[in-house]
Amino acid sequence: MAEPQTLPQSAPGEREFMLDVRTQDMEVNMGPQHPATHGVMRILVRADGEVCTGAQPHLGYLHRCAEKIGENVEWLQYLPYTDRYDYLAAMNNNLGYSMAVEKLMGIEIPRRALMIRTICAELNRIGSHLIAFGTYGLDIGAFTPFLYMFREREWMMALFEKICGARLTYSYIRIGGVFNDAPPGWLSEVERFCDTFEQKWQEYVDLLMVNHIFVQRTANIGVISKEMALDFGLTGPMLRASGVDWDLRRDMPYELYAEIWKDGVFSIPLGRGERGTLGDCWDRSYVRVMEMVESIKIVRWCLGAITPGPVIADIPKTLRVPAGEAYVGIENPRGELGHYVVSDGGKVAIRCRVRGPSFTNLAVLEELMPGALLADAVAIIGSTDIVVGETDR
Amino acid sequence: MTLALLTAVPLSSVPAQTGTNAIRGFLEGVKPEAVPAWAVALTAIGIGVGITVAVISVIAMFGTWLERKVSGHIQCRYGPMRAGWHGWLQPIADGVKLLLKEDLVPKGADRVLYVIAPALVLASILAAMAVYPLAPGFFFADIDLGIFFILAMTSTTTIGVVMAGWSSNSKWSLYGSMREAAQVVAYEIPLGLSLLVPILVAGTFNLLEVSQAQAGFFGLNWYVWPWVNPFMLPAFVLFFIAILAETKRAPFDLPEAESELVAGFMTEYSGIRWSFFFMEEYAAMYLYSVVGAFFFFGGFESPLTWAAIEAFGDGSVMHQVAAGLTLIVKGFAGVFLMMWLRWTLPRVRIDQVMTLGYKYLTPLALVCVLGAGLWELFLAPVLPWRQG
Amino acid sequence: MDFRGILDRLRATGAPGLLGHDLPRAADPKDKKDKGRGGDPFVWVEPARLPAFLERCRDDERLRFELLIDLTAVDPSKDDPNLWVVVSLLSLAHRHRLTVKCALPKDAASLPSSVPVYRAAQWHERECGEMYGITFAGHPDPRHILLPEDWVGAPLRKDYVFPDEYHGISCK
Repeated sequence: MAEPQTLPQSAPGEREFMLDVRTQDMEVNMGPQHPATHGVMRILVRADGEVCTGAQPHLGYLHRCAEKIGENVEWLQYLPYTDRYDYLAAMNNNLGYSMAVEKLMGIEIPRRALMIRTICAELNRIGSHLIAFGTYGLDIGAFTPFLYMFREREWMMALFEKICGARLTYSYIRIGGVFNDAPPGWLSEVERFCDTFEQKWQEYVDLLMVNHIFVQRTANIGVISKEMALDFGLTGPMLRASGVDWDLRRDMPYELYAEIWKDGVFSIPLGRGERGTLGDCWDRSYVRVMEMVESIKIVRWCLGAITPGPVIADIPKTLRVPAGEAYVGIENPRGELGHYVVSDGGKVAIRCRVRGPSFTNLAVLEELMPGALLADAVAIIGSTDIVVGETDR
Repeated sequence: MTLALLTAVPLSSVPAQTGTNAIRGFLEGVKPEAVPAWAVALTAIGIGVGITVAVISVIAMFGTWLERKVSGHIQCRYGPMRAGWHGWLQPIADGVKLLLKEDLVPKGADRVLYVIAPALVLASILAAMAVYPLAPGFFFADIDLGIFFILAMTSTTTIGVVMAGWSSNSKWSLYGSMREAAQVVAYEIPLGLSLLVPILVAGTFNLLEVSQAQAGFFGLNWYVWPWVNPFMLPAFVLFFIAILAETKRAPFDLPEAESELVAGFMTEYSGIRWSFFFMEEYAAMYLYSVVGAFFFFGGFESPLTWAAIEAFGDGSVMHQVAAGLTLIVKGFAGVFLMMWLRWTLPRVRIDQVMTLGYKYLTPLALVCVLGAGLWELFLAPVLPWRQG
Repeated sequence: MDFRGILDRLRATGAPGLLGHDLPRAADPKDKKDKGRGGDPFVWVEPARLPAFLERCRDDERLRFELLIDLTAVDPSKDDPNLWVVVSLLSLAHRHRLTVKCALPKDAASLPSSVPVYRAAQWHERECGEMYGITFAGHPDPRHILLPEDWVGAPLRKDYVFPDEYHGISCK
């Protein structure tokens, strides 16, 4: 391999790819504004014609200093910031942060709150996977399934609007429980949503998943082997698609998931290499679609088991969290969302670290892109299902 | 005025004149003494060109409206609803907006090529339209090499696309135009070969004659039916796939792959220049669809045309109108099918496109031509419905 | 295994660089100033031996921490002369977690890179390094990842002062 090349006009500290100098290689910029990068992200692709020979993601366009802000605002005030990193699964973000602080405080959450939290988190998982799959179809070129999936997503957002007033960034799951109880009729509407969704999801599979062109575009592309997945610290559907049987809801259960798993309600879909190699893009899409179905089962269980009661524990308005540090990881639609909070007993956190799954999952791109065609590059980026808000925080 | 021109055209018992000649004849009849002959000829040509441009513009405008409505309804939404009844004025609104946009040329773009490219692309389609007959008695050029000319002219649009991609000084545009060039060249072969099958059966390149050869029997004489020649249906399927690739429609829309290349070779174009590309796309879709209608689905012949001939006489105005309507309906049916496919299927990757074109479609097309030829040679003379 | 079991295993196999541990404890009723500590237990590791320690955690049969979940840093306070580098590990085989901490002096914040052990560390160390001014020796690509290439300073340190302007844009 040639020595790293540094052009005279490189920015300070920037190193060129370690590639042989070939005059026909073209450096193409995907982003920051690009329909396929799922947010503001720039990927510098070095391509020899249509074949990628290297890829360098450049992040930070959406960096909003969430972690620094966490050290400057009070515990309860930080909650709206948590919505905004993975804005497609905001309930899960709220849940992760709240659980980390609750662990430090050592308080108990009322059962009804746990039920509602689980319903909201799983509904949000469905919504997030709908977008993931829909926009993936859009990247591949199928414009219509995206709009069909948005029908269900709109319904889900309407449900959330009824319960907390917001469609995208909820700040609903608070430290100690949830903000307010579900309005009357909400639970039966959720049940109707479940009924409808169980009819609809097969439509998405028929239209897109098993479409021959989609399979040709995604099977055997971007194969992540089990060893590579573990080495890169991948979690969530990206890990399960490579055949690794790991889901935090079952293996390190939190909230009610231990009970739900014991009742045999849901299963964990794994990639099986059905349409190509194990761990390819098709497997990742397959895992996401099947996860939606499992989430419906979890929601149904909660609807059946929910009882009246308080929805939030007694939390003072000015919260002083006992000194200590805690890490809580939950199963976000994208992987393990971790919150590491450090407190010295005061009103403001010492450290509020967010371990975003998209950030970790994106690193695998540098390894997958070389050798792929440019159109495959789009397929690979789409299959990592990143939200740049979480990548950059 | 069109009706006046139509009535000025002699009935089909006499070999029909071209539209331009008819206009010239009409004008010579009404011109003042002082105007010289060459001025009349020029005016006639100008009017002829004007009518062609108008036809293309209307087709393109209607095509855009149709696309938006079709895509809307497929996607469970309405499409344009505000500009006029169900949005029929939307294309006009779009046209006005595009005309008013700033005419910009990107910095570093090759100015000459950048300006010529859209013009070349539209000019090629306009030239191809010269051979397209509006009605059996109304056309601008009745050349014996009709389809050959059309294929040649539509191929020159590729030059314009490559020029557009190169001159835009953008790597994404370059990608789009390179893909386009490769794709179009690859699919010219199955396109031409699949058209050879009806040409073999008809024995002529001329569009009007091919249409006349499929007359009669309430449309059962159309070439696409298997009893005429069983290789026609596969040839039509191949033809349809090839025209999807030629017009860069999904699933072969990589050159303008929206989600990958922003807008491919058209990325740096805006305003009226971009609308030229857009008009070319819809005009080409319609033109290829009409070619398919002529060679496989009877062209001007349909039960409606037959009824008009029976009621009003061969070559009458009503016959022309009925035939023209038939062709328009067939053309837009093909366009609708292309739109339907676009909003259903994902995009095929470029190397898969090339593999399909060279490795599968071309051999299949060759087999069709060979089979059709053998059928014509040995079986057609003995089949009773192929006599006469 | 619970934390006790992991700690015993680490000690039994002589994990390199293990300095000690810290457990959550209740507040000392006799000492008003001692508020106690809640949350998770963790182990202290010598910074220079961190990659070796992580390798032991990854490869040992009973520990088997296959995934590096997080590698970050904490600046405990302005008065504290040390930064902490915090590593979270997860074992899929044994379903346990471990938090590993190293104390680095703020004025000489440098430790070897863990990229040879876990590829996941590559981006985490880049972010950690730029935010806290920590140098990870031997890192293959130590560019800024979230901050612009020419950003000066370590923003997440407690004594960080926000600049007045950046490339002509006022930051006030």
